[in-house]
Amino acid sequence: MAASRSRVGWFTRHRNRVGDGFTIVLLLVVLFPFGWLVQMSFRPNADIFGYDLLFNPTFAHYKALWAGAFPASFVNSIITSVASTVLALVLGVPASYALSRGAFRSSRGIALWILATRMAPPIAFTIPFFLAYRFLGLSDTLIGLIIVYLTFNLALVIWMMQPYFDSVPRELEEAAWIDGCGVWEAFWRVTLPLSAPGLAATAVICFILSWNDFFYALVLTRTNASTAPVAIVNFIQYTGWEWGRIAAAGTMVMLPVVLFSMLVRNYLVRGLAAGGVKE
Amino acid sequence: MTGWDAQRRHAFQLGLAPALLVLALITIAPAIYLVLTSLTPLNLTLPESAWDFSTPLANYSDLLDDPRFSRSAWVQAKLSMATVIAQLLIGLGVALLLNGGGKVRQFARSGFLIPMVLPPIVVGLLWRVMYAVDISPFHRLMEFIGLPVGSLITNPNLALTAIVIAETWEWFPFTMLMVLAALQMVPAAPIEAARIDGANDWQMFRYVIFPYIQQTLVVAGIFRLIDSIKAFPLIFVLTDGGPGDVTQVTNYYAYRQAFTFSLWGYGSAIATLMVVGIFVLSWAIDRLTGTPRAGAR
Repeated sequence: MAASRSRVGWFTRHRNRVGDGFTIVLLLVVLFPFGWLVQMSFRPNADIFGYDLLFNPTFAHYKALWAGAFPASFVNSIITSVASTVLALVLGVPASYALSRGAFRSSRGIALWILATRMAPPIAFTIPFFLAYRFLGLSDTLIGLIIVYLTFNLALVIWMMQPYFDSVPRELEEAAWIDGCGVWEAFWRVTLPLSAPGLAATAVICFILSWNDFFYALVLTRTNASTAPVAIVNFIQYTGWEWGRIAAAGTMVMLPVVLFSMLVRNYLVRGLAAGGVKE
Repeated sequence: MTGWDAQRRHAFQLGLAPALLVLALITIAPAIYLVLTSLTPLNLTLPESAWDFSTPLANYSDLLDDPRFSRSAWVQAKLSMATVIAQLLIGLGVALLLNGGGKVRQFARSGFLIPMVLPPIVVGLLWRVMYAVDISPFHRLMEFIGLPVGSLITNPNLALTAIVIAETWEWFPFTMLMVLAALQMVPAAPIEAARIDGANDWQMFRYVIFPYIQQTLVVAGIFRLIDSIKAFPLIFVLTDGGPGDVTQVTNYYAYRQAFTFSLWGYGSAIATLMVVGIFVLSWAIDRLTGTPRAGAR
């Protein structure tokens, strides 16, 4: 063994460590633009474009943001994302369970419909929604935005929860029925708790998708209901490219999603490829 | 158990109905309205124009003679091809690098996810910083080593490349994740057998591993292709479709026609064509590749 080892090259012997080293370098290169924006948000204005790593971090940009219109839009983002997620779960979870257990003849049609909503370009929804909202008085309202977010969240919940329900044995529900539970009571007491991890992951992905939306919020809101991503753009249009504050706002907007996505990283593929990947 | 089954059947219909009703209201109704609007010369200051179907195909025949529309489709084709291929290659490469590694590479896996989950508007902002000549660390580095590069996003020849780079950066983790999941499904036996037979790394990849992940690559490619047609925030923040219209993809053109120039009928016609195009594309890919939707296991 020792003899054969000495014959193979240095690279082959240290293959694992070389790979690890390369991975770290690559990760740093890939995340560099991300890290750069974060560090810019803490740099004093006088030195905003500096590149020495030793600088006196300041929270001035965050304080300036806090004093402006940004906090209101941040709250709007939280309200619309949470409300749309909850609504999608309330409507979608029973539907998903029904599709999992019901063996409906229309199941395949419904699956295709859900896939189609995932594939359709948002512009096809924004034009009719914009026109209808003008008529219905829902322009620039949080409710209007919450409804629009259902176009992707509801389909996602129905689709994503099904395999979790599929994997809960029917015998458990029948046992609950014998003990006197109704169909939905059995679902609530037995099946849903057993699907809790999937439910949590689905909720987080719905939240991320709503939170990250820019296009719908840009078109359907103006001032009252504008969400944080739109607030950044409005802010740029009014005050120009004030990099420190833009970097601070960008950091604030991405913070929740980066944290949340680490929680659900193992479920992300399923959520983002909704309709296309069967596990 | 018939009582239980009948009761269940009824309960399931009740559970399904509200969701399907809402879904119909928010997806099918807007789709119908979109198609109807595309048949009108809708002008919001003239309410009666909303139901003016006197020249139903006017918008569509205008589209045929609109060079900006055909140019936008060409820009779209270039953007889609370049980003999908780059994302597949880079995502595959990083997945192969990370697969089966120790703790370091397990940790890196989470790090590589970050670009994909960032709000797209933030991705736009951080690339805007990278592409701004006066402040970008990239431009300063190039200047320092004596190879100054002009602004990419204001150069008509390079603006689309700048978008491709940013878009690839944002979405290669998607392919990476899907391939990593597929790699875990590759059975150990054929790998072991190939190793005993003395296969080198390339042979191992090409003849043993690749057949197992081929379908996944197709599925990832379809998803990225269809999502690339929706590209918006990056273009909005980085180039606004310019310079000229070299980065104006069809989606952006439809947005401008409707929301900037208030040509609602025309914008709707473009959006309708996009929906049709995406469905035809999905159907064609589905036909060409067997049943990829069930392929990723």
